[in-house]
Amino acid sequence: MSTPKTLVIGIDGAPYTLLSEYMERGYLPNFKRILGSGFNLAQMDASIPDVSSTSWTSFMTGVNPGEHGIYGFMELKYGTYKMSFPNFMDVQAPSIWDITGGKSEKGSTLFDRYRGKVDKTLRSIVLNIPQTFPAMPLNGILTAGFVCPDLKKGTYPESAYDYLKSMGYIPDVDANRAATDPEGFFREAFLALEKRAEAYEHFLNNESWELFIGVITETDRLHHFFFDAALDGSHRYHETFVSFYRKMDEVVGRLFDRFMEITSGAGLFMTMSDHGFTVIEKEVYLNTWLKENGYLNLNPSREFFEQIDSGSKAFAMDPSRIYINVEGRYPLGSVSDNDKRQVIEGLKKGLENITYNGRPVIKAVYGKDALYKGRATDKAPDLVCIAHDGFDLKGNLKKQDVFGTSHFRGMHTRHDAHCIMPAAAAPSERLHIENLADIILAHLIGG
Amino acid sequence: MDHLTILENKSIFIIREAYAKFRNIAVLWSVGKDSTTLLWLCRKAFYGKIPFPVIHIDTSYKFPEMYKFRDEYAKKWDLDLIIGKNESEIEAGMGPTKGAKLDCCNELKTNALKQTINRYGFKALLLGIRRDEHGIRAKERVFSPRDENFKWNYEDQPAELWDQYKSTAEEDNHFRVHPILHMTELDIWKYIKRENMPLSELYFSRNAKRFRSIGCVPCCSPIESQASSVDEIIYELEHTNTAERAGRAQDKEDAYTMQKLRSLGYM
Repeated sequence: MSTPKTLVIGIDGAPYTLLSEYMERGYLPNFKRILGSGFNLAQMDASIPDVSSTSWTSFMTGVNPGEHGIYGFMELKYGTYKMSFPNFMDVQAPSIWDITGGKSEKGSTLFDRYRGKVDKTLRSIVLNIPQTFPAMPLNGILTAGFVCPDLKKGTYPESAYDYLKSMGYIPDVDANRAATDPEGFFREAFLALEKRAEAYEHFLNNESWELFIGVITETDRLHHFFFDAALDGSHRYHETFVSFYRKMDEVVGRLFDRFMEITSGAGLFMTMSDHGFTVIEKEVYLNTWLKENGYLNLNPSREFFEQIDSGSKAFAMDPSRIYINVEGRYPLGSVSDNDKRQVIEGLKKGLENITYNGRPVIKAVYGKDALYKGRATDKAPDLVCIAHDGFDLKGNLKKQDVFGTSHFRGMHTRHDAHCIMPAAAAPSERLHIENLADIILAHLIGG
Repeated sequence: MDHLTILENKSIFIIREAYAKFRNIAVLWSVGKDSTTLLWLCRKAFYGKIPFPVIHIDTSYKFPEMYKFRDEYAKKWDLDLIIGKNESEIEAGMGPTKGAKLDCCNELKTNALKQTINRYGFKALLLGIRRDEHGIRAKERVFSPRDENFKWNYEDQPAELWDQYKSTAEEDNHFRVHPILHMTELDIWKYIKRENMPLSELYFSRNAKRFRSIGCVPCCSPIESQASSVDEIIYELEHTNTAERAGRAQDKEDAYTMQKLRSLGYM
């Protein structure tokens, strides 16, 4: 019988196309070596919207946002325009490690398939997956990824917190420095990666486990601010960018070798990302567009989404979610249930026709019924837009113009996430991030 | 001069300046600690008898303790008390459970105040807001012009450098005057202690809970606190690690999250 051990290395925002290109150029010798030993690199679709909180939750629960209920980093509290920030407690579906442990209070379609096969002896080590704060007890160890406001509350058990604290683990780099002090930002990013590698190897070697998931966040941070340096040899930070990938390649190679040693080559090894990245050409401020087109009135004497004023028909939240300001649901809701469909149709048409210098900006606008299925659809956005590469759709409320630029250089892409797994385990159809949990569970307890 | 006296002098200067410039003014009194402090300062500015009306906007949903306190001190301090009510909406059953909370505030507070201002034609209102209450307050001025619809154009307001206040208004405008804008929550409590000011009992701990701010019953919730005297509240504000207090721990995590999301362009 093969060992059920599984190692997943998450590389936040690492695009399929960039990994392929860098392998071609010889920057990633370990990736190349792994692919040469029976592994397959595939392009993968992320969840919609392609934001880390949503996509990672889809990864760890194996279900669509309509079931897990995470549509972004922020929501409005029901019946108000006040912002709230959903955390792990708001995830409506069980994670892979909940399923192996038979934690059944949250059901899901994936859980139903494995209900009879739970094995509570399986131990999980879950490091730095976004949207897992606060840490919930599990058979194993967990330290939460972005956003983790308190490492102690974000880590289970306390001995793991003590270890992380003592070795100088960095939960998240200070992204604000990327604009003001790039050198300092790079130094911290390299250090954070080093510390993660050290902590992951420590747990890999000194703990018993069957499922091990470790995520690297720094790639995403690097991409947000410097993705234009990825392929541009003349960019001031091109060398730095490449050397970060080289370092990441080294870390992945070390963890891979150790895993192969432990499992004698029989485990399931995987690397994956939650979305891809591309260079930003223009930021597109959807709320400004909504304002200009008569859908949104703001009262600037209030703050954030409480600025939404009477008569507003719709508003946008990051990254590309549009909500209809429905009567009864929102304090100043002005669209009746009867009119909702018409407003949605008008919006869809309008959004699809946005152009920049004659080029279309938005590739597709999806209604919520087309995207989401499950018991958490009540919180789902009414529309979600997918932009053409280069147009970063934003939910800012204070922009004067629809188009603008900022210090951000990279934007997420839905279609260019990556996944490396054994060729034998890889499905023949195009991969979606929601498929991975099933593949992992099949290996862990399915057989 | 000590810190509290400097703050007090500044407030009294603003109150007298407003009265001298506008004459037809009123002070808003919610019966909470901040506006009661403002009332106290107005009394001091005019040696005990406030020469203009005191408006209490009554939503009909205030705590019974607040009505009791209001009536008791309106009499003791000989206040010219105007009670502003949006009678038609109250009669029509407006309340936090009827519509949305914002509608309720809008009708029973904002519109009640608009009606009262229109009835009496006040040129300026004294309000007890503080700069440390909320982020948006950072942009507030001591003399803050409003148009007839109460709109505050925060991008076009007088600079107020070196304490030079602009207090001339165009037709149809009224001014909001904020004499305690420069005080913090802790300053207020220290001042309450120094002056031995009376205050609603809701602020002091009963059954391990007290209210940090008071208003309408359905929309206020108490915080966990053992502080049952002004001294204990001051101690609590100065020494309690905010992370240990349930309500505020959430605020702190949210503030951290917001700052993180903003740094990645998500806000």
